[in-house]
Amino acid sequence: MMTTSMRSPVLRIKELCQQFPQGITDQVIQNDLPHLEPQQRAMAINKLLSLGQLDLLRNSSGLLYRLKDSQSSSKMKGSDNQEKLVYQVIEDAGNKGIWSRDIRFKSNLPLTEINKILKNLESKKLIKAVKSVAASKKKVYMLYNLQPDRSVTGGAWYSDQDFESEFVEVLNQQCFKFLQSKAEAARDSKQSPMVQRNSSFATSHEVWKYICELGISKVDLSMDDIETILNTLIYDGKVEMTVIAAKEGTVGSVDGQMKLYRGVNAVIQPTGLVKTPCGLCPVFEDCHEGGEISPSSCIYMTEWLDF
Amino acid sequence: MTAQEVRLCGLLLREHFGEVVEKVGTQLLRSGAQNLRTIIHETGLSVDLVKKSLMVLVQHGACLFSSGRKGPGSPTEYRSGCDRILRILRYPRYIYTAKTLYGDTGELIIEELLQRGHMTMSGTVKTVADRLTQNMEEGRSMDYSEVSSAFSKLVETHFLQRCPPLAGAGTADSTNPAPGATPATPSTPSAPPTPESFPDCYKVPHMTLVGRGKRQLTAEDGEDQRNAKRQKMDPEAHGDEGIYWQVNFERFHLHFRDQAIISAVANKLDQTSSEIVRTMLRMSEVTTSPAATCTKPLSANEIFRSLPASYNIPRPILDQYLTLLVDDPMEFVGKAGESGGGMYVVNLHRALANLARATLESVVQERFGSRSARIFRLLLRKRHLEQKQVEDFAMIPAKEAKDMLYTLLSQNLVQLQEIPKTPDYAPSRTFYLYTVNQLPTARMLLQNCYKTVANLIERRLFESKESKRLLEKSQRIEAILASLQASGAEPEQLTEVEEMITAPEKQQLDGLRLHINKLDSAENQVDETIFLLESYVNSTATSTS
Repeated sequence: MMTTSMRSPVLRIKELCQQFPQGITDQVIQNDLPHLEPQQRAMAINKLLSLGQLDLLRNSSGLLYRLKDSQSSSKMKGSDNQEKLVYQVIEDAGNKGIWSRDIRFKSNLPLTEINKILKNLESKKLIKAVKSVAASKKKVYMLYNLQPDRSVTGGAWYSDQDFESEFVEVLNQQCFKFLQSKAEAARDSKQSPMVQRNSSFATSHEVWKYICELGISKVDLSMDDIETILNTLIYDGKVEMTVIAAKEGTVGSVDGQMKLYRGVNAVIQPTGLVKTPCGLCPVFEDCHEGGEISPSSCIYMTEWLDF
Repeated sequence: MTAQEVRLCGLLLREHFGEVVEKVGTQLLRSGAQNLRTIIHETGLSVDLVKKSLMVLVQHGACLFSSGRKGPGSPTEYRSGCDRILRILRYPRYIYTAKTLYGDTGELIIEELLQRGHMTMSGTVKTVADRLTQNMEEGRSMDYSEVSSAFSKLVETHFLQRCPPLAGAGTADSTNPAPGATPATPSTPSAPPTPESFPDCYKVPHMTLVGRGKRQLTAEDGEDQRNAKRQKMDPEAHGDEGIYWQVNFERFHLHFRDQAIISAVANKLDQTSSEIVRTMLRMSEVTTSPAATCTKPLSANEIFRSLPASYNIPRPILDQYLTLLVDDPMEFVGKAGESGGGMYVVNLHRALANLARATLESVVQERFGSRSARIFRLLLRKRHLEQKQVEDFAMIPAKEAKDMLYTLLSQNLVQLQEIPKTPDYAPSRTFYLYTVNQLPTARMLLQNCYKTVANLIERRLFESKESKRLLEKSQRIEAILASLQASGAEPEQLTEVEEMITAPEKQQLDGLRLHINKLDSAENQVDETIFLLESYVNSTATSTS
């Protein structure tokens, strides 16, 4: 009967796959079973594929058949082909996750089907949905046990898709205090100016160590994270940075350079214009002599004069 | 000559010279060069008044005249510039600087010259000596030679200069007749000769003026006027007729600029570094031209020799300080070579640009908060950024960053640059980059400063006008008191007169005085900002031309 004649090629192909765990091509099967007609061969392969015991892959030279490991094949028992297809697509997306529309493109299934399958897979705890931080309405799907990538969750500064501004503020102030106290200690040491300046510098590695030891962060921060915080301090005008060449292998050096930071003072006092009410006035543009808002009747000036 | 500048000039002219001069001045500022007939017609004043106002303006250097456009036979044209009139705002600062550098004598000399515009040396010396004598105790008086030496010192350091003589000008305006030894006037009448183009600009004339200051015996106005008239008609010749002097504003500005740089270095680094920079600037005071980008290179040996002895810095330490100054990101000092132990220059234009940038940042910080200031500084550093990048670099949540950027954009402190991907500027396919242009922003802030000062002056005039009645009453009472005291009245009469002012009125007067002082000092503070921004804008203008 069909089945007996089918079984042996199927088994044979399966044995071949087990022999070559990295996969076999069509050519190999043909060499092994030369008497098998291409049509029967195709049917055998399709049977294995439908049973979920074989993986169909493509490489540069053609199609490759690989034995699926038993664990994953047991998982899929009870799911039909479509689910398996969707699962495969999600698996391929790795830890960046994939959007539902992209799944639809890749699998060519209608939207309703996709949604049903996704719900099914989620209930089976095979995949999970992760909200992307870039667009808060977008949901990406990835395998259940995978860690979402930094670009999706936003890294250390985001917890549950919320930007943690207080956390950033706290880190900001701590770094600044550290650098400022270092600069003051250097200034009070009354040594020669060159030594003073060099001792007021702190490498990014030192700042990182200090913050880790402080223990204010529940998340592990890398040196790059600390450098972004230090950059915000530069933009606040409180800190300046220089880059020096460092020997490879010294602690904290990246590609033969080290970044040094030190606290600085402001160059000028707040300028004269902002000491007057006009400098801060929200309706400055509308103020004319003889109009409703005018210097003679300005309430901000009255308050300021009576201060 | 923006509207704000014209408004401010008008207010300044009104305060210092009166409404008539204000009318003529604003007419000249608004409409450019005009001849006498046009001015009379436009302002609707009488010929006499217009002539007198023009004289006042020319005397103070605010108005220049030249022969008309249609050729040598046409009537002279008068034109005026905002710059000179805006200097009036800075008079207190000039007088204060003269006081710190040259003491009371210097202060009074500068004050006299600022009030009178142009004066001869002998006239100045006499007036100043008289004023100083008045404030001294009985029996002492000020010698003319002391005042003359102070005057010569001011000329040596170029704070005072001769007025450029004008040859061939109309006789109606011959306030500056040309003495014998002057070079020929330039052939093109349109460009007024600068005072510095004459070689005698800073030469003190030989003056025969011997004597001491005269004390005014009585305080009555009538006597004063008679005395003053007598002095004017005094036919004494002191050998310097026709040589008039004026205040050299440029020199004062250079001094202020040096002060600003020194205090910035002191703030950023420490006192010793600022002393070194002060020494360097002092050494290059007379060798650097006003529009220079940086001072002439000075060798470290020279600097070491010229440091004030009190500092006692050993040579290697000085070298270290100089290296630190060069390495500083603010780039106040640069290294120009290695000879003589290292040649160093002070980068004037770059220092001005940095100071202007700090001014802009401080305005944004005070007005909009420190997070907006962070965004502003970020954009100044990185030039062009997308919205997403701004949020990432500044570590500010997206919603708030967007809000702040839009506020800054609406105030025109930040500009948007569109870079299209497709020839049609479809919004979804265009990059929008935020950027800050320092120079246009500085100009805009400068105009805001002018408007602010004008607002402050107007408020001050308004406050005085409100309490005019009260002020007049207090003035009358003071006059009565003074006359009673001079004629030796008893204490009861004095107290009786004093009580004519009731207590709440006194309170009101005190409050008014406080307000006016506050407004005055605020004007001076804004003037500091104006100075920084103007110097920066002028420095970029000269370097690009």
